[in-house]
Amino acid sequence: MTYLPWALCAWLFAIGLYGMATSRDYLHLIGCLSVCQSSTYVLLLSIGFRTGASSPVFHDHPPGVPAVDPVMQALALTDIVVGAAVTALLLAMVIQVCKRRGTIDPQRLKPMQPLDP
Amino acid sequence: MILAGSLLPLTVAAPLAVGALLLASAHRVPPRLADVASISTATAVAVLCAYLAAQAGTSAPTQWFGDWRPLGGVSLGIVFTADTASASVACLVAFVVAASLVFAWGYFDEVHAHFHVMMLLFLAAMVGFSLTRDLFNMFVWFELMSVSAYALTAYKLGASSLEGALNFTVVNSVASIAMLAGVGLLYARAGQLDFAVLGQTLCRRGPDPVAAGGFCLIATALLTKAAVVPFQAWLPDAHGVAPSPVSVIFSAVMAPLGLFGLAKLEALVFADCSASMGVVRHLLLPLGCATAVMGGGMAWCQRHLKRLLGFSTVAHMGVGLIALGALDRGGLAGFLGYLTGHALVKGTLFMIAGVLLATRKSNDELVLRGRGRGLGLTGPLMALAGLFLAGLPWGVMHAGAAEVEATASQTMPFIGAASIMLGSGLTGAAVLRSAGRIFWGLGPEAGVEHEGPTEPEREKANRPLWLMLAPCCAMLLANLWPTGSSAFLSAWAASGLIRGAPHGLDAMSLVSGGASVALAVFAAGAGLYRHRSPRALVKAQDALGAMFRPLRDLHSGLVGDYLAWTAVGVAALAIAFLAGA
Repeated sequence: MTYLPWALCAWLFAIGLYGMATSRDYLHLIGCLSVCQSSTYVLLLSIGFRTGASSPVFHDHPPGVPAVDPVMQALALTDIVVGAAVTALLLAMVIQVCKRRGTIDPQRLKPMQPLDP
Repeated sequence: MILAGSLLPLTVAAPLAVGALLLASAHRVPPRLADVASISTATAVAVLCAYLAAQAGTSAPTQWFGDWRPLGGVSLGIVFTADTASASVACLVAFVVAASLVFAWGYFDEVHAHFHVMMLLFLAAMVGFSLTRDLFNMFVWFELMSVSAYALTAYKLGASSLEGALNFTVVNSVASIAMLAGVGLLYARAGQLDFAVLGQTLCRRGPDPVAAGGFCLIATALLTKAAVVPFQAWLPDAHGVAPSPVSVIFSAVMAPLGLFGLAKLEALVFADCSASMGVVRHLLLPLGCATAVMGGGMAWCQRHLKRLLGFSTVAHMGVGLIALGALDRGGLAGFLGYLTGHALVKGTLFMIAGVLLATRKSNDELVLRGRGRGLGLTGPLMALAGLFLAGLPWGVMHAGAAEVEATASQTMPFIGAASIMLGSGLTGAAVLRSAGRIFWGLGPEAGVEHEGPTEPEREKANRPLWLMLAPCCAMLLANLWPTGSSAFLSAWAASGLIRGAPHGLDAMSLVSGGASVALAVFAAGAGLYRHRSPRALVKAQDALGAMFRPLRDLHSGLVGDYLAWTAVGVAALAIAFLAGA
């Protein structure tokens, strides 16, 4: 048992959140959101990992062969799909904001208030 | 019972299937057909869930998908269970969606059926979230609910609605990430995702930092959805800018579902883990009190009607959290009653805000002064709803509030009751003040300096007033259902999810309800007739305003600030949980 994946996961989450909170460009912010999200992939895969086990596909090797945990892989896969959907939605909204406000700086955009100078 | 179990997947499958059909035929079907199809689907789901709730009396209908039942203490399958509480929450969700679709009749004509498809997706996600008993499945419904909500918020594609939707999306995506990480951590400890098996495995292990961390992360996500301090800032932005029919659903059922999810996890997974339950209680009660008071005060400071209602939802979520914090003393029956009543009343209020946007082209209280005349029942309905919010001792919402107060008074004798009274009294006062100003022209004429900097907004007025008011009346009447309130409470109390009998209404609850209504009416009057009130009262109002000014500054509208508060909240929860575990 190594603590490296856990530390990496915490670091990715923290650095992603920091990047988002201080971002001056929505494209950068969306990138940071993806970094944040990749922390969960690391976490999930490290939870499901078994040393010396193969992938959980039993098509070409007999049952009983040790395999990594497929539940965690299913979780990670679901999250990737959702992450792609959210990223696409965010990018679409950013394009529309850019058309209407002429800026994509998160620190200038406030709902229901005029644009800061 | 077997029939009920096999009907269970339909509650989710029906809206998804109808949504898919509508999407496939969007360019061919006449727009009215989309309205009719989505309203009848939502109504059918509501009826089905009501039937399931009625069936659940003795043993709850259960469906293991693909018949993957647990075997020897290992559970790999996914299960839906319609216990009385879950099925009635699902029924409430479907009812509110149906009412809001009636309210939105013809509103979204020009975009084919896309609005209806998203609403049906949203409905399916919320019903699935209420009925599931599997942690991973819960996350999937949570995500589906979030994504359709993001898209619905941005629907108008105006500058404000896009910015509100961006804030909502970014903050809630971080919450989703936290939830997934939490699910992963709990799985790492227990190797199970089914609620019941998970609970047994976790509690057998005793106190454990990994499990505590997992619960903490999931709680972060659900509290963000429920807009509890310090995760609340996205809610007024999103609810203020979303189309009115969507805001109805957001405030009435989406935010409360966050709390309901937390209640379910506590009751089904962590009920026997005394350590985490102790932490939860110590943490949730003060958070709930802070949320209730902050939401009430901020609602009082607003002049934009939908934003005001958004902060009022924050306040009521605080009251719900107080009920949740006092869980093992029968607080959950009151919690559900309160959330049901709140959903009906708050849904009505957002519809009235929508009526004003459609017929009077504004949502600014000062701009609208006296312009609500000629809208028939709208004004009286808004005033009545304001009184209910304040705690009028009548109907489902008050029955729930009385339970919550009775429960909170055992755990936090003074502060709990005072926060509930202040929170609901202030939001009621804000609504009454707006109703008086808009519909009866009370208060002084606003000067030029009161012309707000808000951008012009309006919503389509292509439907008759009676059609918009019909769902409002239906929802308020449902809140008044005379025997409904007590019957509901005892039915919930009997379901497996809730332990402890309801306290029932007593003289004390009438007194406290009356007191908070009096507070609301007095504060509304003081707000309207500030120029004529005695000097001491003006000073008191100024002092309150000064107290809430820093809080107003905190709701800056900047997503970076909201994320910083999210980080603070996660850190605080983590410290509390790890110290307790």
